[in-house]
Formats: sequence, C-alpha cells, structure tokens
Amino acid sequence: MIIGAALLVGATVVVLSACVLLILAVVAVRARRHSRTQRDEMLLSPLRPPLITVASGEDDDGAAAEQLTWATGVSRAVLDRNIVELLTKIRGVPAEQLVHVLEVHGAVDAAVAELSSRSTVKRARAAQLLGLARAGHTVPLLVEALGDEAVEVRNSAAYALGLIADPVAAGPVLAAIGAPERGLPAATAAEALQSMGVGISEVLRDGMADANARTRMVAAHLSGERSFTRGLPELRGLLDADPDLTVRETSATAIGRLGRGEDVGILVRHTAASEPLALRRACVIALGDLGEADAIPALAVLLGDADPRLAELAATALLAMGPDGRDALAGHEDDPAVRSARLLAGLQKASA
Amino acid sequence: MSWDAFVEGLRSFVLWSMDVTAVPIIIYFVLINTSLLVLIVLAFLEFRAQQRRRSTAVAWQGAGLAPGVSLLVPAYNEEAGIVMAVKSFLTLRYPRHEVVVVDDGSSDQTFARLEEAFDLVEVPRELPHEIPIRAKVLGIFVPRDGRTRLVVVRKENSGRSEAINVAINAASEPLVAMIDGDSILEPDGLLHVTRPFADDPTRMVATGGAIRPVNGSRVVSGRIVRVEMPTTWIPRIQLVEYLRAFLLGRTGWSRLGGLILISGAFGLFRRDVVVEVGGLDPNSIGEDFELVMRIHKRLRDEGRDYSIQFVPEPVSWTEVPVTAKVLRNQRRRWHRGLWETLWAYRSMLFRPRYGRIGWLALPYYWLFELMAPLLELFGIIIVPLALALGVVNVPFAILFLVLAYGYAVLVTLAAMVVDEWAFHKHDRWRAIWQTIAASVLENIGYRQATVWWRLEGWWSSLRGKKHVWGVMTRTGFDEDPA
Repeated sequence: MIIGAALLVGATVVVLSACVLLILAVVAVRARRHSRTQRDEMLLSPLRPPLITVASGEDDDGAAAEQLTWATGVSRAVLDRNIVELLTKIRGVPAEQLVHVLEVHGAVDAAVAELSSRSTVKRARAAQLLGLARAGHTVPLLVEALGDEAVEVRNSAAYALGLIADPVAAGPVLAAIGAPERGLPAATAAEALQSMGVGISEVLRDGMADANARTRMVAAHLSGERSFTRGLPELRGLLDADPDLTVRETSATAIGRLGRGEDVGILVRHTAASEPLALRRACVIALGDLGEADAIPALAVLLGDADPRLAELAATALLAMGPDGRDALAGHEDDPAVRSARLLAGLQKASA
Repeated sequence: MSWDAFVEGLRSFVLWSMDVTAVPIIIYFVLINTSLLVLIVLAFLEFRAQQRRRSTAVAWQGAGLAPGVSLLVPAYNEEAGIVMAVKSFLTLRYPRHEVVVVDDGSSDQTFARLEEAFDLVEVPRELPHEIPIRAKVLGIFVPRDGRTRLVVVRKENSGRSEAINVAINAASEPLVAMIDGDSILEPDGLLHVTRPFADDPTRMVATGGAIRPVNGSRVVSGRIVRVEMPTTWIPRIQLVEYLRAFLLGRTGWSRLGGLILISGAFGLFRRDVVVEVGGLDPNSIGEDFELVMRIHKRLRDEGRDYSIQFVPEPVSWTEVPVTAKVLRNQRRRWHRGLWETLWAYRSMLFRPRYGRIGWLALPYYWLFELMAPLLELFGIIIVPLALALGVVNVPFAILFLVLAYGYAVLVTLAAMVVDEWAFHKHDRWRAIWQTIAASVLENIGYRQATVWWRLEGWWSSLRGKKHVWGVMTRTGFDEDPA
C-alpha cells in the first residue's frame, strides 16, 4: 500500500512537472522565434536597400553589389541566407551579381566543405546553394550527394543538379530514384531531369528498362514531355508489357504526344475491353492527341462502348480530327457521348 | 430493506467491484498511457524529420509529375456558402484540378446559386457506372464559358456517401479529394497532399491532411486571412482534440506505417483504387474509416506494394460544432462508425498478412478508442460512489484523478509544442493560454459528456437502431474583413 502510494505520488509529480516543462517549452519556442526574427530584421535592415537595388536589376555600376560584399559576421550570414532565398526567384545579371557576393563571402567554398557536414540540414542547404550559384565544378560532389543517407540531402542535390543542368548528371539522377532504401523522390528527379536539355534522351531510354517502376515511369513521362522520339520503341514496350499499370498509362500518354502513324495500332490494341479501364481511357486520349486519320475507324467503334466516358473521349478525339473525324460520328448523333462532346467542343470554341 | 442495509450492500458491491477491476484497470491505464507515450515519441520523430524537410525544402509548384486532382464536393442545402466554396476551390494553387459538386437533392437554393454564379448549361452526358449508384441522377451541368473546370451533378437525395460515389464516377482526374462543401482549403493544400503521390507515383494510394477548426478565424472569399481562437469553450476544446488527433495520433501512426483513418473532411485517393474497392459504402456510418480499411484489406489480400501517408501540414479548415446538441450527434455517429467498422473488419485482427494494421493499429483502436469510454464510464460512476461511501482513501483517489487527467493534459501539451514548433498558426500569446486552459477544462464535464455520447452511439448500433443523420448547424464564417 505504501509502495503503491509512493508510486502514485511519484508518477503524479513526474506528470505535473512534465506539464510545466511543456508549457515552458511552448513559450520558449515562440519567444525564440520572435527574437530571431527581430534580430535578423535588425541585422538586415542596413543591407536591404543595396540588396533590393541588385535584385531589381538597377545596380548598373555594381556599387550596391560591392556594398553587399562588405558585410561581416552574423550580418553576413543573415545576408547570405536572404541572397540564397532571392536566387530561387531571380535570373540573369542580378542573379550573377548576387552569386558574386556569395563567392566573395566565401559561401560557395564553405558550401563545398559543408557537403560533408554531420548536420543533415547543413548538407542539404549547402547542396542547394551550390545549385543556385550554378557551381558547375561541384557536379561530381552533388552526384555523390545523391546517395546521401538523408532524403533531404538527396532531394537538394538533385535540385542543384537540375539548376546546373549538366546532362552528365542525368544518369545518376535517374538511377537514384530506384536506389534501395535511399531512393530519390520521383518528383524531384523529374524536375531536375526536365531542365537538362536534349542530351538526356539516351539516359531516359536506359531508364525505361530499369527494374524500378518509379524510374521507368519518370523516364517514360519525360520522354513524352520532351518529345524524345528515340524512346518510342521503349515506350511501346512499356505500354505492351509493363507489370505496373501507372507505367503503362504514362507510356500511352507519352506515345500520344510524340508517336507516329504506326503507333495507332498499339494504342488501339490497348483500348480493348479486356484492358484496365484507366488504360483504355488513356489510350483513347492518346489517339486523340496523336491525331492520325488511321485511328478514326477504331475510335468510331468505341463510340458505342459500354463505358460512357470512354465513348465521350472517343467522340471528343474524333471531333478534333477534322472533317473525316466528324464524318465518323454519323449515325451516332443522338448518342449522349457524342452530344456531350459536341456541346463541350462548342462551348470551348465559343470562348476561345 | 433498511437504508443502512442498502448502503452496506452497496459498499460491499463497490468494494468488490474495485477489488475485481483494480488490476485490469491499472494494466489498462499503464498500457493506454504507454501507447500514447509511444505515439508522442513517434510523432516527435516524424516532426523532427518533417521540420528538417521543411527547412531544406525546395520550391515545388507541381510541375512534371503532379497528378491531376478532382475535388469532390457533396452539397446538401449549402446555399449559403456553396458558391464561395467552389470559387475558392477553383482558385487553389495547383497545375491541374477540377471541381465536381454533387447537389444531393437539396431542398434549398444550392443548385440555383451555382447555376447563376457559373452560368451553368446542362450536358447530355451519361455518367459512368464504375461505382453502382442507387439514386437517380437528374442532370449534369458545366459552366458556359467552356474553360472553368467545374462539373455540377444534380441527383435525388441519398446521402453523403452516395453523393461522393456519384462524384467519383463523374471525376476525370487520376486523384480524387473528398472534401466537405463548408471546408476551407489552404491555398497550397493540394500541393502538400499530392506531393507523396508525385514522389512515389506507383505505390501511393491515399493521403490524409491535417484538419483544423475554423471557428473564430477571419475568412474572406473562402480564404482564411487571420487564424483566431474560437470564441466559446466547446469549439476551443475541440481545437485541442484536433491538435492531439492530427499532430500526435495520425502522425504517429503514419510514421509506424499503420494509418487506418483518413478524415472524411479531407482525404486524397487514387481514383482507380477507390473504384476498384467499390467506392464509399452508403450503408456505413463511418464511411471514411471503412473505405481506408477496405483499401488496406484488398491491397494486402492481393499482396500489393502500396503506401498510405498522413501529411501533417494544415490542409483543410472546418467548422466544428458549437452546441452540445450538435456535438452529441457527431460523437454518437463517430463512435458508432468506429464500432461498426472495427466489427466489420475483425477478421484482420492478429493476422500476419495484415502486418502492423492487424497487429498494432486495429488492436489499439479496439482497446483504446472503442473501449476507452466504457472504462472511463466505470471510473466516473465508481469513484464518486466510493468516495461517498467512504470506501477509498480520499487523498489517494484525488491523487489518482490528478494523475489520470494530468496525463491527458500532458498529451495535449505535447501536441501544442509540436504545433508551435512546426506550424505556429496562432500569432497571439492569448491563444496559448486559452489552449492550455481548454486542455484542462476538457477534463471537467466535456470529457465525461463525450464518454456518455460515444456509448450512446455504440449502444444504438448494438440495438440495431437506424442512424438518423442530424443537421450540423453552421454558424458560418466571419466574412467581414474590417
């Protein structure tokens, strides 16, 4: 009984003390944030006018940029943080001037060193800074960072490589998506690869044969987005036989964007009722995007499909194919799918 | 029987009850608090990671892999706010989204308001029947401008779940977001909740976003311009509950890979997966919970590799009940839905095939969500009785109560620290004191009332009573920018 009471008193004291500590923690977190904001504001205020002058492209004689290079100590750190933030929004000469300020401050060299820091946040921010400074010489280091243990660093490295836009990094970025346990998020990889120009088409072709479904999907998506026709054979292969439905749908969409007359057959084949409905619809949209007259008979057949959306998509595709496509609607004028597609096309035309 | 004999008999009964239940209750108390502590630790770990991610985040505007989203808005007698809500949904920052409103047989001017605001024209479209629908669809409408991505479907009244199923059939994008017509979405909310789909496009099947009470905040044109505390205590206490549920509970479960509940007020799903499992169950009271369970069951039965994630960023703001009557109806419905869904999926318990869902999440929900009010009620009855009969040591009992409720306050305070650290939505210092006060006041009256209401919901289900959907009386938003 005494032990029970002692335990109870002890537990109550611990819980109530923890409550008090947590209240203090809430207050401390808020107070710290306020004081930091105020400190940064105070330190930045004398530097703000020249910073705005440079960022707005009005520093013709370079005097304002020069003034920014004089910052020292904590002011310099706060200024550098603000410059990095600005670099995500501005381009051209103002961006080059601000990068020069960072270089004079030694921020770029420091970022190279910080890529091997123990702090995840420091490594990630360092990678971002190198990208924003377009530090092309650091591409090998950033490629290495794609395999970092922290996803934030991998993300930042891919982001930086996208900004530097050196196609040499395309292969490692694509491969990093499927890295076991340390995969690169597909969205970041896709954005990075998108800015790497036409030199990546071969890398994307290889990516479509990757064992990882996310890698294949990104490669297929980008091949379509960038109209890399050399990837068509691989896209056809993925549409035909990929085990992942999302990859197949993405491939159908890509073929619709960059395919040729000979692709009508494969797309039509996958509009068959035995295929998953989402894939059938993607193929009908792709046939419409392709705009090949060879697709008209198959699309006309789909006007009577049991799925009303598929029928409407087929009607929409036919309407966009000119007089031959519209002729194929004959006999279906009273079908809800055709009437709906016609009405929507009319509304869109009227508002154009 | 004399009064003294009655009192003596009662005293013996209370003593016997306490003897019999003491050990199980202490074990339960230790277990529930330990599991909460584990959830808190998990949530803190997750937030540390989230915070790191946020402080190193690079801008993502949804280019490239962002999947298109259909926002599904069931509307029943929402004439007051539907136009503003739809306009705000249409102007969310996202590269590709449409809004599908289903007017669920409203008896007010809901449709007329939409028709007038968007100059709707009827489309002779036939809806796909991917999800079977019982109610008759009366018409499908789109704006005359041909550009605004809005579809309005009118149907006979058949309830929210079927309205959403109709909206799923009408949706044309690969992701569907189920939202209430009176919800307010953060301008970047869709970017937050779709990000996991863009990052992991082949595995992600559903994400849930954090929901906050909007009561008291200033809203202009469907956007929150200033976050304020609710002005009365019932919504304030619910704010505390939401903080706990979303910032600790779901975040912790998501970290553990055992998220089984995505709130009906905002959830994002792969459309093909929802269609595959048959959409929302119109007969279910806890339809949102039931849907997530069905998805888990189907995908695990088929051995598919998938993921369901919670996004702790505040995504959606919703008006919470301000009166005890409306709150009672809501809690009865929630608990009834919880019971019916847990019972329906009892076969998943402790089955290796269902992994952490079967071994951790479901047992937790059975023990600590479903059963909790039962045990709490026992305590509410037996402790005062024992005190009145003088069969317990008064200081001991008070200390135990302080410990039990102190722990509840501790959990709330942990959620507050997370909120202040990661989101700090409330600017004013006063909000901190009001939230702390709400976390204490919650234990005086409010908690006991909700225990009773939850048990009422459970009991009415066990008796097979038909559930009657009450009316959620909305007070509306303060639209005055002054």
